Amino acid sequence: MSTDDFDVTAVTLKATTYGVISFLVLFNLVVLAFIFSVSFMPPSEFFGAPHIIPQNPTLDAWTSGFEELQDNLVNSFLIGLGTTVVALAISIPGAYAFARKEFYGKRAGFYAIISAMMFPYILLVIPIMDLWNDLGLYNTIPGMIIAYQVFVTPFAIWILRDFFAKLPTDIEEAAQVYGCTQFTAFLRVILPLATPGIVAVGFLAFLTGWNDFLFANLLTTGTGPVPAVPVLYGTIGGGSGERVYWGKLMAETLIIGTPPTILYLVARNYLENAFTV
Amino acid sequence: MTALEDATTEETDQTADATDSVASSETDSSDSSGGHIRLEGVRKTFDGGDIVACDDVNISMDGGEFVVLVGPSGCGKTTTLRCIAGLEEPDGGRIVVDGEDITGLKSKDRDLAFVFQSIALFPHMSVRKNIRFGLDMKTDLSKAEKRERVESAAETLGLEETLDRKPAALSGGQQQRVSLGRAMVMEPAAFLLDEPFSALDANLRDHMRVEVKKIQRRLETAMVFVTHDQEEAMTLGDKIVVMNDGYVQQIGTPYEIYNEPANRFVADFIGSPSPNLVECTVERTASGVTFASDFCRIPATDEQAAAVQDGQTVVYGIRPEYLSMRDDGGQFTARLDVVEPLGDRDAIHLTSGDTSLSAVTPQGEVSRDRNEVSVAMQTDEAWLFDEHGERIV
Ligand SMILES: Nc1ncnc2c1ncn2[C@@H]1O[C@H](COP(=O)(O)OP(=O)(O)OP(=O)(O)O)[C@@H](O)[C@H]1O
Ligand SMILES: [Mg+2]
Repeated sequence: MSTDDFDVTAVTLKATTYGVISFLVLFNLVVLAFIFSVSFMPPSEFFGAPHIIPQNPTLDAWTSGFEELQDNLVNSFLIGLGTTVVALAISIPGAYAFARKEFYGKRAGFYAIISAMMFPYILLVIPIMDLWNDLGLYNTIPGMIIAYQVFVTPFAIWILRDFFAKLPTDIEEAAQVYGCTQFTAFLRVILPLATPGIVAVGFLAFLTGWNDFLFANLLTTGTGPVPAVPVLYGTIGGGSGERVYWGKLMAETLIIGTPPTILYLVARNYLENAFTV
Repeated sequence: MTALEDATTEETDQTADATDSVASSETDSSDSSGGHIRLEGVRKTFDGGDIVACDDVNISMDGGEFVVLVGPSGCGKTTTLRCIAGLEEPDGGRIVVDGEDITGLKSKDRDLAFVFQSIALFPHMSVRKNIRFGLDMKTDLSKAEKRERVESAAETLGLEETLDRKPAALSGGQQQRVSLGRAMVMEPAAFLLDEPFSALDANLRDHMRVEVKKIQRRLETAMVFVTHDQEEAMTLGDKIVVMNDGYVQQIGTPYEIYNEPANRFVADFIGSPSPNLVECTVERTASGVTFASDFCRIPATDEQAAAVQDGQTVVYGIRPEYLSMRDDGGQFTARLDVVEPLGDRDAIHLTSGDTSLSAVTPQGEVSRDRNEVSVAMQTDEAWLFDEHGERIV
């Protein structure tokens, strides 16, 4: 190739792309490196001059952080799992109906569900607290799981509806010609093909249950099943401006971040093995 | 699984019978029971009746017969086939298979196998599982019996090597074979195929056509085959059903359809190059009856003369092979536009007056250099259609 073909726009575009990507990656990596390193520093060190390599590395922050979070991590896990299971149980059949069935009020119903996502959900905290108190759901794990459905389910239905709608109908019809009822065709053919969508939606539902702070904080009291994230808030000192133990905060952050990361890696494996239809 | 429990013993018996008949078919081909399908006044509309996909469809097929539904795009072939399969519920009419009215039955409860135009394999299952799917769902054959059927179908279709692959790892032709295999192992009363080869290239399509015909002959199972390709219809069908605009135009053997079209549409649709259809006026004089067009006057045969009245407008139809080229002495002269080699024959495109005509002659009979030819028609092979396109003679 001669230098005459040198395409200035293409090269500039490529350079810019790589520039932007490197910047973003660095930006994240530096922060992550600091979080990681501070979690191994004793207080004397992180209150001193900033540096990245701990001079006297210690596991104190990790052990005390883990001890403090233990029970709450279990709560978070139950809430995340429950949120996922309930959300999928509602949204898989719901989304399928919106994708494939004709029924009265289908459009209106769908938009009503979607519009539920548009409200800032802090609006809902007061009525939910009130209602949950009456129903005995306040300060319970099932209470949290149900509360999250308010915004997890519409999102899940929205995503899965598109997923189901994109699957060719004749695959389903083939299943029916070869002996399936509509329901068994759904189980044997549609569900397996929709796995990537279901895994993605399930993962997001878990993340919501795991990471949410607002409902987690307001729908529980200190005596109840407090999830992990509000504890983290406590470590910052509840915003009171007292001395913050950065080491422990960073360790706890990393501890809380680990399960979703592992889950993501597992889910990603699933998503990549998805079948093209 | 529940679906297995669903499968009635009756169905199982049927399939068991079918096994026997297939097993013995190579030695004893006398018996081809089952697969008598009758459609009685089937009508199907969409969009609350605005779109009439098919109407008043009456077809009767014998067991073991190869029936082809043919017609232009959108004429209702697929809809008719889907009604037979139970994938559409007809608005009216009955569908009877072997004396049993199945109009209201669910697709899964009909003893019919459907091959989709889009192939529609299950992408998450191996070829083996795809082929076995219907057996798993509908029958309670033993594992060994299922394996035997799957493997014998795979052998027939040349799929042995691919059994453990996923459909995505197959070529289009192989995928369509798998889809045929999925139907074959069911040993159904009839196969329903919706343009199964339209996605394949021409060579492969010819090859698959022969394969399917062979398979059908060997299994002696009724087959309803949909295509929009008249040539495919002619080569495959024992019986051809020509459809247009949702209505059946004619039902007959390939020869009947070709030689004696019931109306102008069928005449025009079947055969390549298309027949010559010329609008004429009947002139009855003392010397006899002639058909006068803008470029020639053709004498009527006695039979034709008896069927028309003076002044009537008719369409005079004649196949290209009944036009012959001479140096002189024809009924009219025409300008030679194009000579199109078709192998052993040439298609000759002519213009006379404002009318385009075509003729078919043996290879090289007409020189490309000629400008004008004299054309003679074999008038006893001509058809006459009235102004509504219905056949007169
Ligand atoms: N689900 C449907 N909803 C509305 N209209 C439909 C539907 N299915 C078919 N039609 C209409 O019914 C008519 C017949 O369709 P059909 O698919 O049976 O045609 P076809 O003969 O199979 O054509 P092709 O050769 O293109 O496959 C068409 O006008 C089509 O638009
Ligand atoms: Mg069609």
